[in-house]
Amino acid sequence: MRDCPTKAIRVRTGKAVINYERCIDCGECLRVCPYDAVIPMTTSSADLDKFKYKVALPSPVVYSQFGQQVFPDEILSVIKELGFDYVYDEALMCEMISMTIEEYLDETKSPRPVISSTCPVVVRLIQRLFPSLCDLVIPIEPPREAAAKNLRQEIAEKNKILEDDIGIFHITPCAAKMISINYPESMKRSHLDGAISIHEIYNRVMIKLKKERRPSWLYKHHPISGIGVAWTVSGGEIKAFKNFPSVSVSGVYDTIRILEDVESGKLKDIEYLECLICPDGCIGGPLTVENRFVARSTVNRLIRIYGDKRMVDMRRVQKMYRQKFFSFESSLKPKPFAGLATDRIKAIELLKVKKEMLKRLPAIDCGACGAPDCETHATDIARGDGRLEDCVFVKKEVHNE
Amino acid sequence: MASKVVFQQNFAINGGDFANAGESSIRIRAILKEIGIDATIIRRVAIAAYEAEMNVVMYARLGKMHFLVTPEKIHLTVEDKGQGIEDIGLAMRPGYSTATEEMREMGFGAGMGLPNMKKNADVFRISSTVGKGTTLKLTFKINGTQD
Repeated sequence: MRDCPTKAIRVRTGKAVINYERCIDCGECLRVCPYDAVIPMTTSSADLDKFKYKVALPSPVVYSQFGQQVFPDEILSVIKELGFDYVYDEALMCEMISMTIEEYLDETKSPRPVISSTCPVVVRLIQRLFPSLCDLVIPIEPPREAAAKNLRQEIAEKNKILEDDIGIFHITPCAAKMISINYPESMKRSHLDGAISIHEIYNRVMIKLKKERRPSWLYKHHPISGIGVAWTVSGGEIKAFKNFPSVSVSGVYDTIRILEDVESGKLKDIEYLECLICPDGCIGGPLTVENRFVARSTVNRLIRIYGDKRMVDMRRVQKMYRQKFFSFESSLKPKPFAGLATDRIKAIELLKVKKEMLKRLPAIDCGACGAPDCETHATDIARGDGRLEDCVFVKKEVHNE
Repeated sequence: MASKVVFQQNFAINGGDFANAGESSIRIRAILKEIGIDATIIRRVAIAAYEAEMNVVMYARLGKMHFLVTPEKIHLTVEDKGQGIEDIGLAMRPGYSTATEEMREMGFGAGMGLPNMKKNADVFRISSTVGKGTTLKLTFKINGTQD
């Protein structure tokens, strides 16, 4: 309850209740709850079977999950064997989006800093908590969506099948992907058909790797994009930039801090801001298995091996950029949290009530009332969602009188 | 009638306290969000409040920010005890700054503070006595757009 950055959780009659109005899908509760009370939404295998042609689009984070001795192309081929017709290396698209962002920064004179659109939770956080910053979010789709869009067109054409018969599934470390797929913010319909957690496929992939793997010296490994793999760790997205002063931040509280600074106008000299909600970036996602520090070491090894050599054709990316292939379909709309009341006069009155209530509460944030802290409880009282006597300290006082 | 509905709060600002600078601006924003004020207006208030706060931190010994909101307007009054401003006309000029080398190294003192406040507020008043201090009065209209 107290770990929720938007104060969306209350304990009511012994149960934790999430107010979905305030939830930004960050997964903090999922990470900390020792009782597994929170279950993330992902795609079931029944949903998978609805499609004739199944495509796996694993986040490059999967390359960091199976130890340092296993190479990305081995992991990709094993994932394909789990029942997919095709598997695509998303790192390649990450590299393409890196180029696209540079193009955008080069030619657009929009207010700075431009903020990354990669993390769906950051996008939602901005819409909800920092609505005035919506214009700063780069109107370029993140790699997973751009990759799915591209794949659907290419596969339909190549195999002469209907686009609707193709199911594209993101294999993800992230608890928010399913929601960003079901309720996209920058388009009518997501290019992805579902999300499967890394946690869910981990055992099956691991067993296959252990049982069926040939000695690695027998392989001729296919290189993957080092620039793209870097995207899985904080700082990776901006790593390839040459000329733009940029900042990377990870973790939900540090992200909120930096967005507060942006709102104050403190970061005018920064061109690009990369924010990732999970600690250390996507490798710290709640649906991963590998310890995130080990995962980071594995990613760094892959970056060393594959280097920063460009693997994509610059001219092709530029052409796609000009044709607006990567662009948002619709602009990002602010969706601020509701105030204390819709009527402004009423809201100011309630604000005074809240201030009075706050004076009566003990300010020790014990959480016994069911709200995460005294300030939130005061807000709840003003709203009519709680009573002053729910506070054990106030109750004791009243009792003693 | 309606203008009798008022919410107000004071914030203390300490000169030289760069570490906590910006806190009042953040708290004012949180309050405005609870009232449900439009995001673009909040942004303008946020920027002006931050600049005003920074000025106190940089140039004065002690300051007080008084924040008052009615259903129609937002008022910010910032009073400080400090050196005051000799030539307000000059201080209002974009790019003019008396910031020390040290402050500039910290990324402050671009000479945009006062012009930025004026740009973001609907009404901007400044008065100053050398050796005593400076008072700023900023007003933001909640309805309608900026002039």
